[in-house]
Amino acid sequence: MAFRGLNFRFALGLLTAFLAHPISASEIQRCAVDDTGKKLCLAAPAQRVITLSPGATELMYAAGAGDKVMAVVNYSDYPPAALELPLIGSHTRVDMEALMALNPDLVVTWVTGNPPAQVELLQELGVSTFAIEPRTFAGVSSVIERLATLAGTEPEGFDEAERFRVGIAALTQQYAGVEPIPVFYQVWEKPLMTVNNEHLIGKVLKLCGGVNVFGDMQRLIPRISAEVVLQADPDAILTGSVDGVSDDQLDEWKKYAGLTAVEKNNLFFVPASPISRPTPRLLDAIQSVCGKLTIARENLARARDKMESARENL
Amino acid sequence: MTRSLLSLGVLALASMALALALGSVTVSPGDLWQVIQGEGSTLHRTLLLDLRLPRTLAAFGTGGLLAVAGALMQVLLRNPLADPYVLGLSGGAAVGALLAMLMGMGTLIISGSAFAGAMLATVLVFGLAHGTGSWTPSRLLLTGVVVAAGWGAMITLMLAITPSYKLPGMLYWLMGDVSYARSPWPAVVVLAVAVVLIMPLARNLNVLARGPMQAAALGVSVRPLEWTIYVLASLLTATAVTTAGSIGFVGLIVPHMLRLILGNDQRIILPASALAGGTLLVLADTLARTMIAPEQLPVGVITALLGVPTFLYLLHRSR
Repeated sequence: MAFRGLNFRFALGLLTAFLAHPISASEIQRCAVDDTGKKLCLAAPAQRVITLSPGATELMYAAGAGDKVMAVVNYSDYPPAALELPLIGSHTRVDMEALMALNPDLVVTWVTGNPPAQVELLQELGVSTFAIEPRTFAGVSSVIERLATLAGTEPEGFDEAERFRVGIAALTQQYAGVEPIPVFYQVWEKPLMTVNNEHLIGKVLKLCGGVNVFGDMQRLIPRISAEVVLQADPDAILTGSVDGVSDDQLDEWKKYAGLTAVEKNNLFFVPASPISRPTPRLLDAIQSVCGKLTIARENLARARDKMESARENL
Repeated sequence: MTRSLLSLGVLALASMALALALGSVTVSPGDLWQVIQGEGSTLHRTLLLDLRLPRTLAAFGTGGLLAVAGALMQVLLRNPLADPYVLGLSGGAAVGALLAMLMGMGTLIISGSAFAGAMLATVLVFGLAHGTGSWTPSRLLLTGVVVAAGWGAMITLMLAITPSYKLPGMLYWLMGDVSYARSPWPAVVVLAVAVVLIMPLARNLNVLARGPMQAAALGVSVRPLEWTIYVLASLLTATAVTTAGSIGFVGLIVPHMLRLILGNDQRIILPASALAGGTLLVLADTLARTMIAPEQLPVGVITALLGVPTFLYLLHRSR
């Protein structure tokens, strides 16, 4: 049986080779559609890649193609190996000369972060550009796969995408039955900014059973007043900080002792970099947010118990 | 007099040569010469012909446009403070551009919208200042300043309601930056044509600078001349802002510097402004590209940092 099977596979292989022959030129090409809907085909796997956003750098490493990244922009601080790479300016102002001098065969751009004029100039100069900006968990896995396809690192990239997909599924299941808790996520203190449900951060909150009090707002990152936060009176307030270390960003709220989140000691800091970049580190972000919301629920339950026992004692 | 223009021209060429030779990537003089002869490696050709040359020309054109527009405005309003930026022309252009960005338009439409904004600002200021009464320079200046404040408020409003991911692009546009210039040709061509067209009028401008009464007495038809200057200055500003965003300061300072050195003869000042304004912006942009490379600075920062002390020194010495 085994022998026959082998034979059959061999025959099939031969057949495919014959059939494939006339269209081999297009088969060698690696094609992927970017987040603006533009299709990019490369004749050979990208070997000299430049990333124009910290997130893109991280995603290239996630796709298993970190060793093909030749240069990055400012703030590309993850993984640590990226810190060793040469800089070619910032994401809003790219040093075009330095970029062209590196003769890249792929430049990964940021849909809304890079100046359109500079990206257009790159295209005019014949540089292959691939614009990315995942807005969903599925978008993160898909962009890792697409970058891996372009760089010819499919095994590593598809594994990592699958790991992320499985991780998200597991966490979704783990927190599926938790008690909903009204949450306010503070993106920036002055001016006060938050996220709606469409934002990746909003999706992280939702996965953890958090009910974003500003989730229905129109804009992705709405600017709001302190008044509406007081009115919404969330049970927990979260914000991002360097490595999740407490700083003074939430001190303003401590003035309002009547605010449930303040009263129940539910002011939390999570590491800012994993939650604000659309990369596999979102799994870490979800774990820290879910962990904080679990503490928040415990704090609320404890206060509730205290109140009930006080009532019984009366 | 022609000698000072000639030396300014030599300076301009030297600054452009410097801008072509310097960059974050070092190109040796030998390689430079090869590219000039039409040879050299692909990379060097790309660096020099596709990146540095268009950018240098755009910087020169923009600087020249702003300086000539400033010189014209100062004659028109007989006020040393006059400058296309003070009069709200760049404010109108900025509002037009930001509006297009807010609606997610492409670069071409952003440029067109900026141009329309500048022209609208012109019509608005001129129309309002004209009103029913007389049309005095101080009235025009006041109208311009107030309208400029209005544009400023609209810019702030738009920045406040803009989705934050669009903010960086908008802010950088407001700062003014030659690295976003798409094509140098509008700036260079408009500058060349404007200087050629304005030269026959320079003598009349000299008379106008002494006051409209004197000018009228000497047989200059004041009103048409004033309109021509204003429309021309607006056109120059609009082209400059469209090319490189709002770069302040060049229009105010270059004509003054030249007046302190060359005296107030428009036949010299206007072409000299074109050359010196262009040179200043080319030098400033070269610094902006190379000072902390690979980080790039907006050129407006450099023009101000270079121009302010130079201007104050000249002003102090002239007393």
